[in-house]
Amino acid sequence: MKNKFKIFIVCIFASVNCSAEMASINDSELSEVTGQSGVYLSGEVSINEQGGPLADSYFGACTDSAKTCGARLSFQTQESGGWFVIDDIKGSIAFEGLTFQVREINSGFGGDGALFNKAVLEIGMPESIRMNDFEFTLATGSSSRPSDVGYKQVDFMTVEMSGELTLEGNLLVFPTP
Amino acid sequence: MRLITSRIVKLTLLSVLLPLNYVSAEMTSLSDNDLSEVDGAGIGLVMDDFVFSHGNDIANDKVFKISGITDSAGAPVSINVNQLYIASSGSNNGTTLDPVNLGRLSNPYEIDLLDGDDVDVGLPGEAVLQFAAPTKVATGTGYSCIDPTLGANSGDCSSRPADTLTSDGLWENGERPDMGLELEITTGTSGPKNLNFNVKSAVFDGSYLRLWGDDDNKKMAAEFRLNFYTPELQISTCSQVNQACTSSVKMQDFQLELALGTTFQPLYIGADNVTGGLTVEISKITHEYISNLNAGVSDGTANGDAAAAFFTDYYTNDNYRSNIVIGKLDIGGTDLGSAKVEGMLIQYLDVKFRDLAP
Repeated sequence: MKNKFKIFIVCIFASVNCSAEMASINDSELSEVTGQSGVYLSGEVSINEQGGPLADSYFGACTDSAKTCGARLSFQTQESGGWFVIDDIKGSIAFEGLTFQVREINSGFGGDGALFNKAVLEIGMPESIRMNDFEFTLATGSSSRPSDVGYKQVDFMTVEMSGELTLEGNLLVFPTP
Repeated sequence: MRLITSRIVKLTLLSVLLPLNYVSAEMTSLSDNDLSEVDGAGIGLVMDDFVFSHGNDIANDKVFKISGITDSAGAPVSINVNQLYIASSGSNNGTTLDPVNLGRLSNPYEIDLLDGDDVDVGLPGEAVLQFAAPTKVATGTGYSCIDPTLGANSGDCSSRPADTLTSDGLWENGERPDMGLELEITTGTSGPKNLNFNVKSAVFDGSYLRLWGDDDNKKMAAEFRLNFYTPELQISTCSQVNQACTSSVKMQDFQLELALGTTFQPLYIGADNVTGGLTVEISKITHEYISNLNAGVSDGTANGDAAAAFFTDYYTNDNYRSNIVIGKLDIGGTDLGSAKVEGMLIQYLDVKFRDLAP
């Protein structure tokens, strides 16, 4: 027991000689750190292509032309006012090659790049983006739900898009002072 | 045994405390000077090498349609969007789609949360969400907002025309896009008609939208500035394959500076809670001490002086006024000269949309 106690004391004081404190990284060292790779995404977003889960006086199956089968988003900008509506949202958007990566910019951009000389988040537009029967209706309504008593909605227009889109470029995102 | 345990506890405490004396990673306070360096940062957005185009083209399995619109007789109006495009200047009405940049790294599009206490914002106690295009720069240090052939130091716009000669060589993209919307409209039993809008080398510098909550009226309030400059805005009825036909209205050197809403006279956009129609409102211009004015002159009190100063600024400040300037108006090949509508000041606006359908 006595020997064990001595060893314990030696071990504890030995730890005093360990200096594992945090050390700061200077700007020079930080400049060596770079994001090595990004993210490459492909996918398909489908919204109510076959209709949604609701079935009432307003919503129903897509085969019922008298009813709305798409999704609905409504929002209000005045406390006791009416509502802005994006109605009957349905269809799908398929994309391939949406990328996210950190990009160091220190040249190009008509001389702006050298002056900028910083890293940005680069969101690369997909190599391919295709819409399949994607549509929505822009409207305003008297209340939030079309099933409300006395509800009235004014539809502005319905937009329908299908096929391959031409969408090229990179969105650069960075903090500004 | 109890003695040994007591010693172990003491030694353990010592061993824990002693090494801490050698590590100095304590928190330090920020001084006022340090804090003055901290600023609310926004998010800068630049589109690099950007091209967008889509249009109704059944042969190539593309659909782009607008429906749900009726004419005055109640007949449905079908609109095929032949092309909607954004591309580099020199697109020849959207037939050549080269990449363009939107925003500069030194002056990007921006999303920012502004402090209403800032005198430049002027909404004490409010947080203001701002969406802004590139800002304008000091006159003579930027580029002409209209004429893309002029070089540096020719105006107050930051965005550069395509093929600008810079310190880094020829900047082909530029930051001024060509944009277009080409429609094919079918109404009732009549055949399809074309209506096209094509814009060359567009500039939006100085535009912004500020949104905040109006606590008194319980509404979302807005201040909107739209600056739109182009060397040519063309509205035509040409077919899509012949966009250069003479059946057009060309507005050359077109300038639109639209001012809707201010901090003291906000723009409210909403919907009616009975008819469901869109409502657009700009409050009546007034001042809390307006009763201290007699025939527009202060009654000599401090309140009267404040009201007089307010209205003097209101009627003389160009930032509150909207302008439309057309350098040269050409209709079907006939030159009608220039046209200007300048200094429009909105004192009150209350627009309510309603559905004409029975």
